[in-house]
Amino acid sequence: MPSQAIPMTLTQTLTMGLIQILAVLIAVFIMVPLLTFAERKVIGYMQVRLGATRLAGGHVGITGPMNRAMWAMGKVPMLSLLRGLPIFIADALKLITKEDIIPAKADRGVFTLAPIISVMAAFGVFAAVAYFPGTLFVFPKGFPIVGGLPFQGFITDVNVGLLFILGLASVGVYGIVLGAWASNSKYPLLGSLRSAAQIISYEVPLTLSLLVPVLLSGSLNFKDMAVALATGQGLSPLAIIPLFIGFFIYLTCGFAETNRVPFDLAEAETELVAGFHTEYSGMKFGFFYLAEYANMIVVSALATAFFLGGHFLLPFGLQRFVPASAPFIGQPSFLFFFLKVCLILFAFLWVRATLPRYRYDQLMDVGWKWLIPLTLVNLFVAALIRFAF
Amino acid sequence: MFKNEEMEINLGPQHPSTHGVLRVKLRLDGETVVSCKPVIGYLHRGVEKICENKSYFQGQVWTDRMDYVASISNNLGWAEGVEKLFGIEVPRRAKYIRTLLTEQNRLASHLLWLATHALDIGAMTVFLYAFREREYLLDLFESFCGARLTTTAFRIGGLREDLPPGFIKQAQVFQDRFLDCVDEYETLLTENRIWKKRTIGVARLNAEDCIALGVTGPVLRAAGVPYDIRKAFPYAAYGEMAFEVPTRTEADTYARYLVRLAEMRQSHRIIQQCLEGLPEGPVMAKIPKILKSEVNEVYHPIEAPKGELGYYFVGEKGGTMPYRMHVRAPSFVNLQALPKMVEGRLLADVIAAIGTLDVVLGEIDR
Amino acid sequence: MGFLKTLLPGDIAAGLALTGKYFGRVFFSANRKKIRTQLKHFTQEYPEVKVRLAPRYRGRLTMLKDEQGEIKCVCCLACEKICPTQVISIEKGKKEGRKMPFPVRYDFEMERCIFCEFCVESCGFDSIILNHQFELAGYNREDFSLGLEGTSQNMFTASPVGHHSVAEDEKR
Repeated sequence: MPSQAIPMTLTQTLTMGLIQILAVLIAVFIMVPLLTFAERKVIGYMQVRLGATRLAGGHVGITGPMNRAMWAMGKVPMLSLLRGLPIFIADALKLITKEDIIPAKADRGVFTLAPIISVMAAFGVFAAVAYFPGTLFVFPKGFPIVGGLPFQGFITDVNVGLLFILGLASVGVYGIVLGAWASNSKYPLLGSLRSAAQIISYEVPLTLSLLVPVLLSGSLNFKDMAVALATGQGLSPLAIIPLFIGFFIYLTCGFAETNRVPFDLAEAETELVAGFHTEYSGMKFGFFYLAEYANMIVVSALATAFFLGGHFLLPFGLQRFVPASAPFIGQPSFLFFFLKVCLILFAFLWVRATLPRYRYDQLMDVGWKWLIPLTLVNLFVAALIRFAF
Repeated sequence: MFKNEEMEINLGPQHPSTHGVLRVKLRLDGETVVSCKPVIGYLHRGVEKICENKSYFQGQVWTDRMDYVASISNNLGWAEGVEKLFGIEVPRRAKYIRTLLTEQNRLASHLLWLATHALDIGAMTVFLYAFREREYLLDLFESFCGARLTTTAFRIGGLREDLPPGFIKQAQVFQDRFLDCVDEYETLLTENRIWKKRTIGVARLNAEDCIALGVTGPVLRAAGVPYDIRKAFPYAAYGEMAFEVPTRTEADTYARYLVRLAEMRQSHRIIQQCLEGLPEGPVMAKIPKILKSEVNEVYHPIEAPKGELGYYFVGEKGGTMPYRMHVRAPSFVNLQALPKMVEGRLLADVIAAIGTLDVVLGEIDR
Repeated sequence: MGFLKTLLPGDIAAGLALTGKYFGRVFFSANRKKIRTQLKHFTQEYPEVKVRLAPRYRGRLTMLKDEQGEIKCVCCLACEKICPTQVISIEKGKKEGRKMPFPVRYDFEMERCIFCEFCVESCGFDSIILNHQFELAGYNREDFSLGLEGTSQNMFTASPVGHHSVAEDEKR
């Protein structure tokens, strides 16, 4: 795809880059708090309760009189689906303004560095993720500096994008391990050891399961892979089998990578109090929090791009059966990508509301005895399909 | 340069899953528990001593505050113990209502156990589903005696008041939907592979160890000993009820989970019989305004949700207060099985073991 | 067979189906404009929706007056004696034009009260009840000392300590 068709000056390149980075950052900074709100609501509904309703849904404040009037009429307040929505602002404000405590015996430098590593690794990954394989829109001609330039659906077009993503994602665990070690406390230490072991075990099947799309598409470039897998050009129809199995394996490993239930051993609230971030407070804790949710978004984006057909409508390469000339459903759209990401994020919350937590040794057991052999078999099947059919 | 070092860690008294203020001193080798020592007493109020300075009527309010999730069972133990001491015969209707409420309280207690146990192991939704049913039961308790948790439900010689109007209808509504709710918990847990992995073979305690340590209740029955005081030494109206004592032989956490679920179904059955066969008549026996005891001693055991709950009274001549009162609290006795259950196992199993013992610290520390 | 069962997560799917079912049910019912009589969720939206208390609910101790506006209490001290935590103390006195003894002082220390209703039960003259007030939080220790009329808080009216709750704010 010739994306570099328009020649750019250095200033233009830099400005364009900055704009794109900022766009993604702002999007993530909005997505993460919304995700925490969604988590409260979704899990609340699943547990036959309402979740957060008190902000903008209670007695006091700006919406107070309206709500009171509606209650008096025997009705649920208007916008009741969004009651409690401002809690995501409140959450952020709380994290920012809270006292930042560093334990006396902690290693101050590393203690401060750890959340930064975590959050940088989580955000760095977004550099290579493509939300849309082409131009989203073109800046109008009269625009200063960037006039007439296209706004791409990705920040950079790394030709080994997947490697970059996997490499950077595994840096994130350093944040957890270092932070826990620097806290000089016992529960975080246990949490960090669990986390390290978990990452080592689950990095392998995660990478192996991602090798299936790599093998089938014959590329490491995020954009090219997404397009090739979605449209299924040059692929046997049988490719749906390894992709389908690979999707579930990838999702399982993704849950483990992001420390989510049922693999949330590193924080395991009921066992290790708060695991690796027991001693963290304020915005340092907020960074870990941010990193976890940003990682969730990355895992969802990857699953969407490689398995669920990315910005096309149908998953697993089924898009080939839709004529490319069809309006809307035949065309790539950012909307499809976004909806699929939301769907997988919903699955994250859904699983959290349903499943218990694995034990430390059982986690290893599942990783090494089940997932790795399964991914190897799956990879073999994929190779067979790629070269035999 | 490298050396192995054991780590000592305090699980509690402020910890999300020690069910109160239990402190467990653990020596860990990595994640493996080398030794485990429960430290108790953070909630000690001296209930036994207080009760020695209160009249037989007054003492009951302290029993509410021992096992606060099964306060009606505690009320029953106190009331029946005192009645035994004074030879008071309770009217039959009162006995039935006592049985009814005690069984509903057993359900409430088991629901709370299920909720917290599942939450400890990570299944957070069972918590809310179980609390939903428990809420209904607490509302029933409120309509009967005016309080949800610290009930003070019974009086020496019977009941203070009869069931409120509409109680039986409300209880029947609960009866009709409860079994479906149990099925819901089972859908989320019984066959779930993670739940099975976390519970099967964990915190095993065989029948001999159970008996040697004095462990009673579902923990004992999950080891294959069908000892249930409701059957062995019937009290209240249990002699007239048809029910089974569920047992398992695996003696692990999963078996205890299944035993308690089966017990919930049996309790449901007993409640149904109480509701249907509720006899007419007075609910209060004629008793003197002031109870004056002879030199006498009485031990009255009942089957509380957690195990054998015994009230021991020593009366002195002409005394209006017990000379000595002692409670055999099931949680207290069961807790001593904890080290036996978890030593040599992993840290996460300690959490499962505390959950499966179903301890309530109000009762342990008294 | 067992191998296949491990590979196919039917058990997990069953659990997900159950939570999903409840999600759908609450999602589509909770946000209707009209409050349904049969709620699909179990959240009680207190204080907007008032809590339903059982008639026998045991709240704060309240004294009663008869039709003539006379305090019913005749200082038999039964409540003081039965009270397990000794929160009631009564001072006997005389009042002109009244044959029965009259409580000069009736102190009720709510901070220690355990709401067991033994006092009401022991009262042979129905002169005290436990009302349905449950919002009893206060900022000062003095807020929990109640007495007869003329003292800072009296036992004939609802306790002002409940004023710190949102429900009371609305009333004012």
